Amino acid sequence: MVPSPALETREDERGSVHHLTLKTTVIGAFPKISDDPGGQHLRSALHRHDRGEIDDAVLDAAYAAATKGAIEELDAAGIDVINDGHIRWDDLFAPFATAWGGVSRGPLERCYDNNTYFRQPLIEGALTTDGKTLVADFTYARSLAKGEVKAAICGPLTFATLAIDKHYRSLEDRVGAVTDALVKELEGLREAGATLVDVEDPAIVALPQHIELAREAYTRLHRAGVPLALQTYFFPADRVLEDLASFPVAQVGIDIRSRDTTALRRLDVFGDKVVVLGALDARNTRLETRDELTALAEQALKLVKPERLWLAPTTSLEFLPHDVVTKKLAVLVDAARAAGGVPA
Amino acid sequence: MTQTTGGLRPPRTPQARENPPRELLTTTVGSFGKPDYLQKARNAFARGKLTRAELEELERKATTEWIRIQEELDLDILVDGEMYRGDMVAHFAELLEGYTEGGLVRAYGNRYYHKPIISGPIRRPKPMTVDWWKFAQSLTDRPVKGMLTGPYTMLDWSYNEAYPTRRDAALALAEAIREEAEDLERAGAKYIQIDEPAIHARPEELPIAIEAMAIVTRNLKAKTISHICYGDFAAIYPGVLELPVDQLDLAMVNYEYKYLDLFEKDPFTREMAIGIVDVHKHELETVAEAAEGIRKGLKYVSAERLLPHPDCGLKTRPVEESIAKCRVVVEAAKLVRAELAKKAVPA
Repeated sequence: MVPSPALETREDERGSVHHLTLKTTVIGAFPKISDDPGGQHLRSALHRHDRGEIDDAVLDAAYAAATKGAIEELDAAGIDVINDGHIRWDDLFAPFATAWGGVSRGPLERCYDNNTYFRQPLIEGALTTDGKTLVADFTYARSLAKGEVKAAICGPLTFATLAIDKHYRSLEDRVGAVTDALVKELEGLREAGATLVDVEDPAIVALPQHIELAREAYTRLHRAGVPLALQTYFFPADRVLEDLASFPVAQVGIDIRSRDTTALRRLDVFGDKVVVLGALDARNTRLETRDELTALAEQALKLVKPERLWLAPTTSLEFLPHDVVTKKLAVLVDAARAAGGVPA
Repeated sequence: MTQTTGGLRPPRTPQARENPPRELLTTTVGSFGKPDYLQKARNAFARGKLTRAELEELERKATTEWIRIQEELDLDILVDGEMYRGDMVAHFAELLEGYTEGGLVRAYGNRYYHKPIISGPIRRPKPMTVDWWKFAQSLTDRPVKGMLTGPYTMLDWSYNEAYPTRRDAALALAEAIREEAEDLERAGAKYIQIDEPAIHARPEELPIAIEAMAIVTRNLKAKTISHICYGDFAAIYPGVLELPVDQLDLAMVNYEYKYLDLFEKDPFTREMAIGIVDVHKHELETVAEAAEGIRKGLKYVSAERLLPHPDCGLKTRPVEESIAKCRVVVEAAKLVRAELAKKAVPA
């Protein structure tokens, strides 16, 4: 395998030359069930719990088993930086709308341009949290994973723009309150040992008119003292690319597959930030080839140093069936190695 | 299904059926919950423990029961209840050439579906719903809607591996659905509903949805309807008024009727089926609440062109809840009809 011409090399203390392999990561949720025999244990447990046939402890064990399974699969696929698969997350807002004060889970709404639905956060009072909403999940994931584990929270703009608000007077007030609560969650995660936290905020690219409001929110999130990876998806980041580059975050994730975008030709704006390149289409079953992904990575490598380029799916893997996810992750890892000049 | 429609009045007399109301005709969106025996039968069929013929017999039984229930409820325009469908896209995907079945993906909560894959050229080898429509219509004197899923939604809720663009796939699907719609009309359907709940998924693609729907409806003389729900209706309004159908069928109560405000600036120009009971919550609306929803709609659409109904299909609700929700719709319509009649007759 001939390494990409744009790829840098590094010499170790013995003088051997190593090509840098691009890191891989995932975003959002991993499929909770599969079509395989025995692959629907969690689904079945939830049905049985609804019918009162099992208690909370048995359901909790089913969640734990599914989380363990997701982590093992992500590790086995060779993903460098994994998450816990969000197995306990009913949707992007559910953990927070369930645990926080002042908000509950409201009516169903479509998740952007997907045939997937979420319960809108229904804000009826001042938002409060002890900041420990995700600590147990993160700690559990870290105890199981072989490598690096990142945590995740929902983005303040996405939460605030998709909520039904019967308490705060304006979007600005709502974003501020959500941000304050998320800062506490970040502090809780930091104390639990998190060294990187995804902030899933597709609203930033869906509603670019609110970019300054988002900037203010991220400036406050940054003060929690844990490196942040701002993950955008579904929509092109074209209109806010320079803005995102100036946000106080360590990483920015962009989706280069869902719609036409010029971002791939403008990645140099990100300077010393890590670019999480959403190159693997997580919303279509068509299986990419390794060369297809490698070509995208090499295009990015003309503008971004390899240690600052991570390859990733465009968004949550839960938009795909489990068997397709398995195949796609294999291609992703293969492509990252190929782009780094490592023989497949 | 146990026919425990307790509290229902007896079916209308033949004479009454010959004189259906002309205002605030009541209807439903399409699906009803499957009775336990049918759900069990479908599971048994999936495990190979039941033959197709045995399953179909039970599907006909459930369809018959739902037609009777709708008559007893005194709904005006009926549906077959979709007892033979898994979901609104997968059913057609199973019958169209060019599709393969995908694996399970989550829709929300603990609900999953087999999202189909467009893997080759789309073609309709034979009619897909006509026999079911004929069967349902044979059971009642009241009109039964022909029920189809629109080409844009078929595309959007499928993975597309075969066509180079989404437009190409939508237009190919439109041709297949047009054939089905025309067959329904030939069979006698007076109402043909072509659902497009995904139409606001990508507002920038509204022109594709309109172009595709024009293919489906271009030769039809039947009343055409399109159901739209759960999304940002404001993002496609007023452009959606260009969708070439006679009636738009809209979820409203779930949004606390906020989308009616759009009609202040850009008047609504179609017939409107208005959602007045929420299909995603167990709590039952009162007749007074539902009637208030109808009155809100009457600010923008005349009673002859306003059809009260639930926000969406009722398949996620247990049978008894579905019946109770429909009863509220019918009673609310009757209440408001009486109010309108009082106003029309000078004291």
